[in-house]
Amino acid sequence: MDRVDATEHFAQHAQGDLPSLLVLIIDINPIPWTTNPLSTALPFNTALSNLLLFLNAHLAFSHTNKVAVIAAAAPRGGGAKILYPAAELPTDTKGRPQSRPPQPAPQPGEPNKYRPFKDLEEGVLAGLGKVLASVNEEDDGTDRTVVSETRIAGALTLALAYINRLAGAGADNLGQTLTKGTGTTEAGTMQSRILVVSVAGDVASEYVPVMNCVFAAQKKHIPIDVCKVAGNSVFLQQAADATGGVYMKLDAPNGFLQYLMMAYLPDPAARQHLVLPTQANVDFRAACFCHKKVVDVGYVCSICLSIFCTVPPDNICMTCQTKLAHTVGGMVVRKKKKKKAGTATGSGAGTPTVGTPRP
Amino acid sequence: MSGSLQSFEQLEALPPATFKKLYQEPCTTLALFRRMLPNLAKSIVMAMLYQDDPVPMSFINAWVKPTSRREKEMALGKLRRLCITSEKNQKLTLDATFKASFREALTGGSRSFGTPCTTEDKHPVTVEYLDNYATAQWEAILHYMVGTESERKPSEGVMRLLVAGGLMEKRSRRAEITQAGFSFLLQDANTQVWTLLLQYLSMAASLRMDHVEILHFFMLLGSLDLGQAYSKAGLTPTQLNMLEDLRDYGIVYQRKSSSDRYYPTRLATTLTSESAALRTVQQGFDAAMSQSGQGFIVVETNYRLYAYTSSPLQISLLAFFARLSQRYPNLVTGKISRQSIRQAIRMGITASQIIDYLTVNAHPQLRKNTPVLPPTVVDQIRLWQIEGERMKATPGSLIRDFSTERDYRETLNYAEELGVLLWRNDQKRWFFVSRHEQIADFIAQRARAQAAKAQGRA
Repeated sequence: MDRVDATEHFAQHAQGDLPSLLVLIIDINPIPWTTNPLSTALPFNTALSNLLLFLNAHLAFSHTNKVAVIAAAAPRGGGAKILYPAAELPTDTKGRPQSRPPQPAPQPGEPNKYRPFKDLEEGVLAGLGKVLASVNEEDDGTDRTVVSETRIAGALTLALAYINRLAGAGADNLGQTLTKGTGTTEAGTMQSRILVVSVAGDVASEYVPVMNCVFAAQKKHIPIDVCKVAGNSVFLQQAADATGGVYMKLDAPNGFLQYLMMAYLPDPAARQHLVLPTQANVDFRAACFCHKKVVDVGYVCSICLSIFCTVPPDNICMTCQTKLAHTVGGMVVRKKKKKKAGTATGSGAGTPTVGTPRP
Repeated sequence: MSGSLQSFEQLEALPPATFKKLYQEPCTTLALFRRMLPNLAKSIVMAMLYQDDPVPMSFINAWVKPTSRREKEMALGKLRRLCITSEKNQKLTLDATFKASFREALTGGSRSFGTPCTTEDKHPVTVEYLDNYATAQWEAILHYMVGTESERKPSEGVMRLLVAGGLMEKRSRRAEITQAGFSFLLQDANTQVWTLLLQYLSMAASLRMDHVEILHFFMLLGSLDLGQAYSKAGLTPTQLNMLEDLRDYGIVYQRKSSSDRYYPTRLATTLTSESAALRTVQQGFDAAMSQSGQGFIVVETNYRLYAYTSSPLQISLLAFFARLSQRYPNLVTGKISRQSIRQAIRMGITASQIIDYLTVNAHPQLRKNTPVLPPTVVDQIRLWQIEGERMKATPGSLIRDFSTERDYRETLNYAEELGVLLWRNDQKRWFFVSRHEQIADFIAQRARAQAAKAQGRA
């Protein structure tokens, strides 16, 4: 009886499930959605109702689960906007809306819904309607090309900022619940993840902002799941790979709901026990800093690790202004790790950062 | 997991026909899904929800990591016990009623989530009022249990329920609190409510009320909205009867019993929340109870305890496990000692209940520390409990009389994977398990397979 250990005795107290926050980013770019074969296999209406069902399923997992929905589009096509929860509501310290807007009295006998599901559905549809209305107002019908590019970085930034706000406010609360009973000092946080439903291709000029978001997410241990309904995206593949998220390119978009339910619904706690789809080949190409082109092989500044597709003029690095001794044939094939770290540090404020890049 | 889940597990013992009836209501389906299933089981249900064909077991086996076999078996076992899935020819099928109701819950289109009142109430009720009402009713019950003098006395029905639930005992004229009652008092509000409601459920049989209707109503209350009036239309006679009892507990509010509307209080709307959400409920209550504000207990590393309270209820609770020495108008001081803790444990209060209570009610000043309570005190309270626990009893079954070593080994391995194995003796080929249903299935399956093999050979 010398080895009486109180902690072991109470180890069977399993910790309750952490609340889980899902931030959904929907690419609402109209052009891919209305182009065949996607427009026939999965019209936007169907996709949206499937997504709403998926979000309801996420909310059904637990009372504490939360959802946010962000729309991503081209700057002229609406930009990045939070559709749900609506921002206008005054929030209390925990980030919850304090009062709800008055709602019309439901008709007796009308089929009803679980309140959070109803709020979510109405919120998302209203938010989407607002975004589309603002696009229609601004659209002068002159420039079609700008509309076709989806800027995903803005939406990712919004998502990360939102997660940071919620998790930051909730961290203290959760820490308490965790210490309760078990006596452990583990600092609890909210389990957050991002799901990007993407239909458009990459915008090469967005390489640096997207990668910055990816590294921020990686540091915060926020998985970025990517559901590629159409097209192909190098950057999002890398995002999912770097953050430990799920990347899937849908072969059969009409089975969208089943894909969502199987691969994207399990939260981080359940994922420990499940085999989820992984990418066999990740496209690790980067975009150069000088012409924003996606390159296979390029030049890397030895000081700040910036990437160039051609030798910069006068052999001076455009980011850190270092005079580089460039010899012909000194072209370097980048390694995976180097490139990632390089973009993280080299793209900051343009200041030379010398030192070992962090993995 | 908290105690509420343990008491919730009583529901697993319901007969399959009852589950079938329960799954007819989308809101009950949703609540049971949320409250009773482990995380992995939820994922499995969701994956199967929109598939029309049965899922082959081989698919589930491939989907779950081989290292998580134990969790998988636990999840599948739970689903089987709750009659959500059934297995046939190595294929897993989701119960049709469950599937239909759950889909309906997610997509809407049913009328299962209460009928809100359409007309304006002549006497509108605010959320604060409801909170105050619920707190007053609930506290009255607690006060009655600890025997403090208070102006409000709970109704006859409540008293009968407390006695029937073994929380109080009739001695001479007055009812006295029992050991179970003590540990009841130290639990959080949600657990307390569920303990009483489940007791209500078990009493229902004698009152000739339908189990299913009662459970439906509990789950319905859990899905309602705080501060919203709901119409009594559509409730069954049993449920109308219940409404009156629930009003006594402070779970629903009605201005008059003849009124055709009712308001769920915070006690009701949090019924189906998980343990993680409980503290926020507590805070909601605390905001309503302005006098006690937030936490009020300060514990020092020298085992001294200071409680900024004048509530007789809180003081009597503290007196269960601490030796109180001084009392000021707004402050009680005392000391936690081996003797006081041992005394509490003899009354049936566990160390974790005491620690939970102290943590939940910790003073804001104390809350700035991590961990909230001084670790020395927490550890010592636990050690004091272990002192008396040299022996631990676990209910279960002894499995023995294996004919061959191979039979014994394989069954043993299976039990180990399930996580139910508690003790083994290889020489005698005996082992002890905490749960025997799945093991019995396994043995029967093996016997059948062997018989089939023998037949094939013959």
